[in-house]
Amino acid sequence: MKAEEYDIPEGLYYTRDHEWLRLDGENCVIGVTDYAQKTLHEVVFVDLPERGRKISKAESLGTVESVKAVSDYFAPVSGEIIEVNDILSSKPDLINKSPYGEGWIAIIKPSDLEAELKDLMNSRGYSQYLKSLIEK
Amino acid sequence: MTYRTQLFHYHEKASHLTDFAGFQMPLWYESIVSECLAVRNGVGVFDISHMGRIFVTGPDAEKFLNYLTTNNVEALKPNHAQYTLVCNWEGGIKDDLVIMKLDGHEYLVICNAGNRQKDLSWLQTNSEGYNVNLREVSDEVAMISIQGPKAAHTVQRLLEDDLSNMVRFDCKYVEIAGSKCVLSRTGYTGEDGFEVCVLDASISNPANALKIWNMILKAGEEFGLKPCGLGARDVLRLEAGMCLYGNDITESTDPLEARLEFVVKFEKGGFIGKDAILKRKEAGIKRRRVGLRMVGRGIPREKNRILKNGEVIGTVTSGTYSPILNVGIAMGYVTAEYSDVGEKVDIEIHGKSIEAEVVSFPFYDTKLYGLKRLQ
Repeated sequence: MKAEEYDIPEGLYYTRDHEWLRLDGENCVIGVTDYAQKTLHEVVFVDLPERGRKISKAESLGTVESVKAVSDYFAPVSGEIIEVNDILSSKPDLINKSPYGEGWIAIIKPSDLEAELKDLMNSRGYSQYLKSLIEK
Repeated sequence: MTYRTQLFHYHEKASHLTDFAGFQMPLWYESIVSECLAVRNGVGVFDISHMGRIFVTGPDAEKFLNYLTTNNVEALKPNHAQYTLVCNWEGGIKDDLVIMKLDGHEYLVICNAGNRQKDLSWLQTNSEGYNVNLREVSDEVAMISIQGPKAAHTVQRLLEDDLSNMVRFDCKYVEIAGSKCVLSRTGYTGEDGFEVCVLDASISNPANALKIWNMILKAGEEFGLKPCGLGARDVLRLEAGMCLYGNDITESTDPLEARLEFVVKFEKGGFIGKDAILKRKEAGIKRRRVGLRMVGRGIPREKNRILKNGEVIGTVTSGTYSPILNVGIAMGYVTAEYSDVGEKVDIEIHGKSIEAEVVSFPFYDTKLYGLKRLQ
């Protein structure tokens, strides 16, 4: 699916702050959306969360930064960080090249998935949300 | 009110725009990093028409400018320029300028975009009793900067005159494509470079500026020339250790703590701010502007606090990611006792204290980059 020039893969969940979440067995892989990376432009630095960190939904996990801009990214769901994409430390531009693939940021072991997933948007909902943002 | 420069119609089509000092300016065309690298390795071209330009002429022009600025205008030879400061009566910095001496009684003053009005009124207010004429030409004159190790090769293609006769900070009238221009070997990147004032290029009739801009794009093609935006301009000047007015120097910083004493000539006679600066010097300098290079991971940003053993010792005034060093760099003020090169400090970034080191300017290795690089 696409909204304007932004990719929005189906089967993922989305937040209003432009994070995506993919279910992977019992865990959740998270990252930032194509819209987020295009808005930031050239990503030069990613501040990654620590493994083992307990997190609450909507809590800031770190920053994705370009030369001029800093953008926080937030936990789409509560739980524990069990894995982070260390490659982003040396290749932050993977976020630009592959926001939904190699540019993934972390894996969360969720603690209240069923309830919290309801607050996230599907690709159709996120596409409509983006269109409304762009029209403003 | 939003202002546009003579080259806006080019930027509008080719760049990602940003607001700077009320001007709609290009932030980047292709990307900040690639534009920085073009300037460090080849050549880049910038529209700097947003800066202010004031002609100061008349029999007292030299005496007048010497009284208003900190550097020695009397020492300036025709066809040469100098970096200088304008201070207020308390010794705070009102602006940093380049003054070009075009002949005995004709000077062209280049000031910061955000200070156009302030500087002009300051000059007018203090011109009483001097036989000078002030002519603000910012909207009639466009300004283009060509920077990088291939800048001279690029500019040479537009001119009959041999550029090898021009040394750093030389300036002169030239003709480019039938337009009268002031050319200076100056810049804000640390690299060799030139700045061209296109004298007959007004906001309402910018054809001459666009023509010369396009000629430069073409002349630099084989050297990989890129049009560069303010994003690259800010990174390049910070890598070179140069101040940005409004961030690193303001009316509440003095030239001593800003380490700009090399353009303050106390021996030249009276000038506005002299007594106050001398008084500050006698009292001792309490804080100093330093360069900071990250040791830990993180990009320092303006207003980040600088810590030593958990205590706040200063503030970051400019910070960025350096593409050539692949590390976060910053400029800021710290308590004098922690301002020596090699001092380890922490910078508070997003609530975390991350290690940084006080380093000298410029940030880069001068054997590899900058105008004194080994060929």
